[in-house]
Amino acid sequence: MAQSTKTKKSKSKLWFLVHSWLALPIWFFVLIVCFTGMLAVVSQEIVWLANPDVRASKPSDDAQRLSFQQILDAMHKAEPEMAVRRLVQPDGSHFALTANVTNPDGTTPTLYVNPYTGAIQGKVPDFNFEAFTRALHGWWLVPFTNGFSWGWYLVSLLGLPMLASLVTGLVVYKKFWKGFFKPLRTGHGSRIFWGDVHRLAGVWSIWFIAVISITGIWFLIQAILSDNHITISTEPVVPVISREDVPQTADGSPAPRIDLDEAARIATTAIPGLDISFIMMPATSYSHVSMGGRGWYPLMYQTAAVNPYTRTVDSKFLLEDRSTLEFVTESMRPLHTGDFGGLAIKLVWFFFGLVLTLMVLSGLLIWTKRTAQATAAALKRSERAPASRKARVETPVEVQP
Amino acid sequence: MSKAQALPASPLKQFWLKWRFHLNILLILIPLGFMPKYFADAAMFRGDSGLGANQQSAIQVGPYTLDLAEMRDEAPRADGPAGYFKLFNAALCKACLKDVKAVYLRIGKPRSLRAAGTIFFGAPYRMATSLPVPPRTKPDAQIWITIEGWDGSMHQAPVALAKASPATVAWLEKQGGKK
Repeated sequence: MAQSTKTKKSKSKLWFLVHSWLALPIWFFVLIVCFTGMLAVVSQEIVWLANPDVRASKPSDDAQRLSFQQILDAMHKAEPEMAVRRLVQPDGSHFALTANVTNPDGTTPTLYVNPYTGAIQGKVPDFNFEAFTRALHGWWLVPFTNGFSWGWYLVSLLGLPMLASLVTGLVVYKKFWKGFFKPLRTGHGSRIFWGDVHRLAGVWSIWFIAVISITGIWFLIQAILSDNHITISTEPVVPVISREDVPQTADGSPAPRIDLDEAARIATTAIPGLDISFIMMPATSYSHVSMGGRGWYPLMYQTAAVNPYTRTVDSKFLLEDRSTLEFVTESMRPLHTGDFGGLAIKLVWFFFGLVLTLMVLSGLLIWTKRTAQATAAALKRSERAPASRKARVETPVEVQP
Repeated sequence: MSKAQALPASPLKQFWLKWRFHLNILLILIPLGFMPKYFADAAMFRGDSGLGANQQSAIQVGPYTLDLAEMRDEAPRADGPAGYFKLFNAALCKACLKDVKAVYLRIGKPRSLRAAGTIFFGAPYRMATSLPVPPRTKPDAQIWITIEGWDGSMHQAPVALAKASPATVAWLEKQGGKK
């Protein structure tokens, strides 16, 4: 009996040690990854607040949203030479449309377009805050040269210690399910206070840490699969339109193609429930008008490709076309980023992202106050006789990373 | 803390104990180091830094002219079992926008329009294609541009690979027909 209590105790001590040391040598890296992830969740909203060009301002109360073709016409009226490649309605009607265009000088900016008037309100600035925070968080800015960037691996590997932190944290926190409403103890010193913060934040974040770490590990698996050229996708490769279907014209002028609204009408008639939030012009004379949007399951997109000459839906990829495995794997990214249910879910993800960032910080504070002191003390005790000077040198290294 | 920490440590362990937190500094230096590259790439993708590297301007292809440039001045990139690919960008002359149905690129002269090579995607002001480069390609090879008109006409012109992508030729010479 006494023996088993003792092993139990030493085991939990070991778990505690594992928990304490999991992220430590790289704590600042972990902190920045959590922080940039938290920012990335709401980066679109931050840009919306900072830049009026991004807002879908109504010219009058009864203004109606224009169709994709009406938008395209308005843009061509303003810039007759500009080639529009893609129109996207971001999630949320308060966002302006974004348009990927190519100018005659060969530049390819992304423009913000008012959905009510079709007016070009501005372009994505050279410093793209959304893209930058995502690149910093997602792959540590390491360029993709051959397959996935090694920065992607570096960041996604953190999913493993994060999941281990969650598991060991729950093991060492006895009866953690009773900790949801424990008040924070103030006035007992900062170590007790930060310990309480860490535990309270931890129990409320169990689901979030599980979601973020598991989806993070998925990103790692995804990179490994992709770099080994293994695919689990059932998405059809849209074939180019055959030569016979693309008309030749006697006078050498481009063959007439259906407009965007007609293409969208054909697709939504053929596929009930297809919501169209983005539409792409044909990329070549042998390409389709492709479009898509979220299905009833908001974590996944449905797409369709309409032949602009024959008016047929040549290809589609709908929710029911997915394998069960794809339902799981395709859900991973939106679950990580929290961009599947509008602002409310983003704010929840942002809040828990902040809590997670604070947990890394509070974990470090506890560590410096307890683990480091204990380590330093142990080192001092053992090295007092042979090398006392060395121990003193080492102490500041321990507490001051 | 554990006893293991307290024991007199090996030099390697001492080194780890002393320097482990400097890993943080190394990790933070990574994005700082890559930041100029990140912004240069972003500018390149926006088309702000021109069509690409080693631009061949105003190549006469039948009645039309076209600018061709490799996206990056570098050797072809491997894409698994599919082989090696090289990204090229092209821009059509403003006067020929309406007439041209498609532009293709291929190593060696195509025998017919059906074998014209890879098609260029995107707006005619800046199109892109991914050209397969077999490792056995001769370094003195030519890449052929094929322009197909809406009236069914076909026009062709070659460019020396050595001019369009010196890095690819250097890579081919290094391969020496090994693959």
